[in-house]
Amino acid sequence: MELLQLAINGIALGAAYALVALGFVLTLKATGAVNFAQGDLVTAGGFLAVALAGLLPVPGILLLPIVVLAMAGIGLAVATLSWWPLRDRPPATMFISTIALGIVIQNGLNGVFGAEPRAAPPLFTGGHVEVFGAVVARQSLAILAVAAILIAGVHLLLGRTQLGRMLRATAQDRAVASALGIRTGAMVMLTFALAAALSGAAGLLLANRYFIAPTDGGGFIVKAYIAVVIGGWGRVGGALAGAMLVALFETIVAAWFDQAVATGLLYAALLAILAVRPRGLFGEATGRRA
Amino acid sequence: MSGRLTRWLARDINAPVFVLALVLALWTVSSGDPYGLRLMTLAGIYALATIGYQFVFGHAGALSLAQGCFFGIGAYVAGMLALNPGVGVETTLPAATLAATVLAALVALPVLRLHSHYFALATLGIGQAVLLLAVNWVSVTGGANGIAGVPSASLLGIPLGRGWPMLLLVWTLVAAAALAARRLTGGWAGPALTLMREQPQAAEAAGIDIGRLRLGGFLLSAGFAGLAGALQLHTIRVVSPEVLEFPVMVSVLTIAVVGGRTSVAGAILGAVLLVHLPEWFRPLQEYYLLAYGVALMLCVAIAPSGLAGAALSLRRRLWTEPSPPLPAPMPVPVAAAPACLEVHGLTRHFGGVAAVDGIDLVVTPGEALGIVGANGSGKSTLLNLIAGAERPDAGSIAWGGRRVHRLSPDRIARAGIARTFQAIKLADGLSALDNVAAGDWRGRDLTRARGAATALLARLGIADIAWQPCGELPPGIRRHVEIARALIARPSLLLLDEPAAGLGAAERETLGSLLMDLHGDGMTLIVVEHDLDFLRRVAGRLVCLSGGRIVADGTPDTVVRHPAVVASWLGSPGAAGGADG
Repeated sequence: MELLQLAINGIALGAAYALVALGFVLTLKATGAVNFAQGDLVTAGGFLAVALAGLLPVPGILLLPIVVLAMAGIGLAVATLSWWPLRDRPPATMFISTIALGIVIQNGLNGVFGAEPRAAPPLFTGGHVEVFGAVVARQSLAILAVAAILIAGVHLLLGRTQLGRMLRATAQDRAVASALGIRTGAMVMLTFALAAALSGAAGLLLANRYFIAPTDGGGFIVKAYIAVVIGGWGRVGGALAGAMLVALFETIVAAWFDQAVATGLLYAALLAILAVRPRGLFGEATGRRA
Repeated sequence: MSGRLTRWLARDINAPVFVLALVLALWTVSSGDPYGLRLMTLAGIYALATIGYQFVFGHAGALSLAQGCFFGIGAYVAGMLALNPGVGVETTLPAATLAATVLAALVALPVLRLHSHYFALATLGIGQAVLLLAVNWVSVTGGANGIAGVPSASLLGIPLGRGWPMLLLVWTLVAAAALAARRLTGGWAGPALTLMREQPQAAEAAGIDIGRLRLGGFLLSAGFAGLAGALQLHTIRVVSPEVLEFPVMVSVLTIAVVGGRTSVAGAILGAVLLVHLPEWFRPLQEYYLLAYGVALMLCVAIAPSGLAGAALSLRRRLWTEPSPPLPAPMPVPVAAAPACLEVHGLTRHFGGVAAVDGIDLVVTPGEALGIVGANGSGKSTLLNLIAGAERPDAGSIAWGGRRVHRLSPDRIARAGIARTFQAIKLADGLSALDNVAAGDWRGRDLTRARGAATALLARLGIADIAWQPCGELPPGIRRHVEIARALIARPSLLLLDEPAAGLGAAERETLGSLLMDLHGDGMTLIVVEHDLDFLRRVAGRLVCLSGGRIVADGTPDTVVRHPAVVASWLGSPGAAGGADG
């Protein structure tokens, strides 16, 4: 039963990672570049929830819409600062610029909240429930449900709406989309907003059980990257599956040894995967990108 | 001597750099308080780490995020060694350098094949893994507390005090590093590295081994970082996991971007500025990193080539130097090693489509072969397969009896097969002369390479634009520059992918004469082209491709009348491959 408990915790963590990985892939496809500040947007979302909880003593689920909207706005700001002025430059330029932005976010949070890890309120209530004999934190189940709803929402947005089709067209080929009359600049800005909203939501979800500290962003972005390496480049479904594997691996190994060993082994696994299969574990041949 | 100094000072931004260096030295001597000396020592240490970082980030063009990690490794290794009595910097510095280089060599296999941001994130993973190790392997690293109480540094038993001795040691090493960087990246390596950064495929096709250069850059950067880390340990005498955390990496990256990605003077200036910034803005206190972030963001957007680059372009705007005289031309002989190209059953699929579908082709030495076919008939893929830019799914290619279809493009180039690209690939920031000189992988000597490039540009009738940046040249001239670059490698087989595309009638005429001259010299030519008149002039034999197969092969006159060719050209009903006309 302990294994079931671990598995549920791992899947809940994976669902939150999946939100980050989804934002990572969407931005990567829209801009051809990595938003390195994505990890720091997770912490920003977490701290936003911490701050809001101080003002409004309500369950996390009520804070979620506020966090998501505010983070979408921050996403637009990120795009304005770090993508728009550099949109015609090599992808590494946006990478560096978002590293800079990440530092600003990190140190800004550190200045306002201090370096200590903080916790956001639970989505509904704390405590545990019994599932098939395993004792599971209610928060884990809530994370799982909320993340699933958000991912399904993004899936519907991209798959079923005109806006989604325009977003996908922009990601596929900006020049062609532009020739079809799509305002691709606006679409990329919206992608940033969507990615930031997803990251912010992940921050709120994670900041209760796992706490959150201003310097956590680097870890989140590397995990999103590992998820994408496992899942194969540019594949949304692959990234979600990769995020699950990363989280399950972390949770189960951490239960056996400790958190540091789990994370260390995860990085070692990343290097091993890259050495053997530079195109990702389940990746198709995408040539030089890997 | 004074004449040489004057000439050196007149070049680029050497004069202001020289004056600035003198001012800094005088300022350091005159202030002389221990804290000031310590800051200048740290500035030297960061300059050293950044000069190293420029090898991988600036010269090789790969955004590594492991420089802070290598720096920290150096500090830890030096710290562990220096705890033993009698161990001086003559041991700790080389050991730290070596340790960082060895770690870089170990991780190079998985990470160096990755490109751009994927490489960056993988190197970040290395840093995070080492940080975890440092925090958790308490028995060796001292865990979160690190290693404290490192005794004062000594050199061969002579104690080195804090202050001046340490400062002089550090800055002597900075000077040595600056000279080493100049030697390693100056001369022929300069244009070759630029070509590799801006047009990696063209660099490979020009015989430049990109993998080796990237590996070299990565190992050098790690070694310099390890050395700098060890020097920091001897300066502050403690080491803790903080040294492995992201701020060190961010500082080095910021110094490189703010100072200039490939300029040693920029690295030094950036290091001095950024190390002193928290001191000059004391109210910032803990927020100095935030200021770094803002500086980095602004610099990337406004001055992407950094302070050194901005100063250089200001200098060029203020007074334009006359173009230097053309180097004395050095004629380039045509390689006299004719070989036979034999292609058997060559196949390459993209997804479900066979772009090249079982091609058999023999090209004898000295032949001039034209390849025609509709768009999408597999012409460029065939050329890419021969040049090594694509790997075949089946079949073989032999060149002079040696199987070459598994070789990398640079090795194929060095075996005597040169090429041009359908979409011209030149480094826009480099002069036409240096774009051509970069292809002289044999000589690796800039003066000789420029001499040979001059001769080739003159032969193509474009010597007058030799010093112009390629980005400013019209397409016709750019094609000629690319052909000159292919020729400087003295190939015995030249592959040309639509060389006449975008050329005017007169330019086609010149190009045709040039190709006939080369053919007359004994060079084998394979020319992919749509212009049949052009091909009739230069090619002795034509091959027509359709749907990845050879549908006609013979003299130009017979091939252009072949029914399959006419069909594929004019798109008659039922024709395979559907022509674009």
